[in-house]
Amino acid sequence: MNKIMNVLEEVLLPIADKLNNNRYLTALRNGFMVALPLIIFGSIFVVIANFPFLDQVLSEEAYTAYKAALDPASAATLSIMGLFVIIGIGYKMVEQRGGEAIYGGVVALASFLILTPQVLEETTGVIPTNVLGAEGMFLGIFTAFIAAELYHFFVRRNLTIKMPEGVPSAVSRSFSALIPITFTLTIFLVIRVLFSLTAYETVQNFIYTLIQEPLTALGSGLPATLIAVLLIQVFWFFGLHGQIIINSVFDPIWYSLNDQNLAAFQAGEELPNVVTKQFIDTFIVGIGGSGMTLAVIIAIFVVTKSRQLKELGKLGGPAGIFNVNEPVIFGLPVIMNPLILIPWLVAPVVVAIVTYFAMSSGFVPKPAGVIVPWTTPALLSGYLATGNNIMGAVMQLINIAIVFVIWLPFLKVLDNQYYREEVSVDTNDKNSAATSTSTTTA
Amino acid sequence: MKRILLACSSGMSTSLLVTKMKEEAEKRGEEVEVWAVAQDKAEQQMAHADVLLVGPQMRFMKKKFTVKGDQLGVPVDVIDAVDYGRVDGTSVLEKALTLINEQQRALQEQGGEK
Repeated sequence: MNKIMNVLEEVLLPIADKLNNNRYLTALRNGFMVALPLIIFGSIFVVIANFPFLDQVLSEEAYTAYKAALDPASAATLSIMGLFVIIGIGYKMVEQRGGEAIYGGVVALASFLILTPQVLEETTGVIPTNVLGAEGMFLGIFTAFIAAELYHFFVRRNLTIKMPEGVPSAVSRSFSALIPITFTLTIFLVIRVLFSLTAYETVQNFIYTLIQEPLTALGSGLPATLIAVLLIQVFWFFGLHGQIIINSVFDPIWYSLNDQNLAAFQAGEELPNVVTKQFIDTFIVGIGGSGMTLAVIIAIFVVTKSRQLKELGKLGGPAGIFNVNEPVIFGLPVIMNPLILIPWLVAPVVVAIVTYFAMSSGFVPKPAGVIVPWTTPALLSGYLATGNNIMGAVMQLINIAIVFVIWLPFLKVLDNQYYREEVSVDTNDKNSAATSTSTTTA
Repeated sequence: MKRILLACSSGMSTSLLVTKMKEEAEKRGEEVEVWAVAQDKAEQQMAHADVLLVGPQMRFMKKKFTVKGDQLGVPVDVIDAVDYGRVDGTSVLEKALTLINEQQRALQEQGGEK
């Protein structure tokens, strides 16, 4: 067993290393981090705009006015999140290499806007906001990568205007970005013109139909989701941060799906997707952290008798409510523990399947597209994620019960092991204490 | 004043340790500054630290951090998984202080040779 573990660890560590330290994935992850506060701000106002029973308390007119007053909050943030992700990625790409990061951000944004259709029906001089959200997400990400790379390339080539001595450094810096930015944006303009000659007409359209649509369709399906969930668990089993590794690959897909739901939710239409960012974050992970260990902590309080596990329950409980579960993962321990491997892998898969069908059958509403911070306690997060629906919390309760039942037999075996060890250590202590006193008296 | 920097994915789980380590340091009368950051902030914060300890779930970052650490003369290591699970402030503080002392000794020896 140990040998297999060691071999697996040797395989997984470099993968984790590669995925996590890959320049593009790092920039992608950190770029999303830049957008996150804005996304959460918008989500808060979607939640407030959709408070339950308001439509019954207020007159129809007042309710419409209330919603219309709050709408700009999410329209300016959540619905056009692609914009902030692009700036974030461009910024982080250049920052990684020690360049002037803010130019990376703006050059990425400008490149994206160059590729973006600037006409809506007959009106020119506009940018349709839908392409700044989910629809433009993939194009935005690729554009930010390429724009930042080109910018950096031209800076490194030293294609900059040299200023004579005595010119203030701020002035020469503003010129130093001029040539790299001009070259980069010109390339994107050429790309736009070339695409306008093809059947796709816009790059936006090309990326959307050829890459984004198939990928998100794949990502919204149950098989891909189960693979992602399983991989997260496998990484964690080896004590590696599964989410941070897997999310950097899946986040663009999950966020795009999320945004589609948000648009439908705000328009009062049927929600298209079950699998979204919030499906994973709220219903699979956000119940105590990866592996949904809140149920494990509850089980520890209910059934265990060993001191070690009781202590762990006290230590891991408060953090677990806010979905921080490293104490459980490293303390139980989950890592490298063959006994725990089965519930650790099986429970999230079962929960994912049950939640998927509960939502697709309409028993529980699909995630409404609001982003709930991952530290939000379970039940509340389920309520919020489904657009203020109590059934979201019920779903989380069901999931807790599922994890509880799957874990119970394994946890009992572990508890018995610990308990027996503790008893034998205690009696040994007593015996040795007894012999030592007898020798001193003799 | 010894400055100990902890890093994990978002600075959440290591912040549990921060409290415990501060308690332990106070007991010993040791003057320390302990703080936790997310991994993307770690490199930037290293310049202000004497040692960087990484959560075991982020141990794949060690190599990257070590490169920066060598430049700055900041030792980098991974927190032991068992200590991490127990949120064992005593043992992690011990490790941090040992690493700082080793680093200082190494510096002094270098200085002595010159």
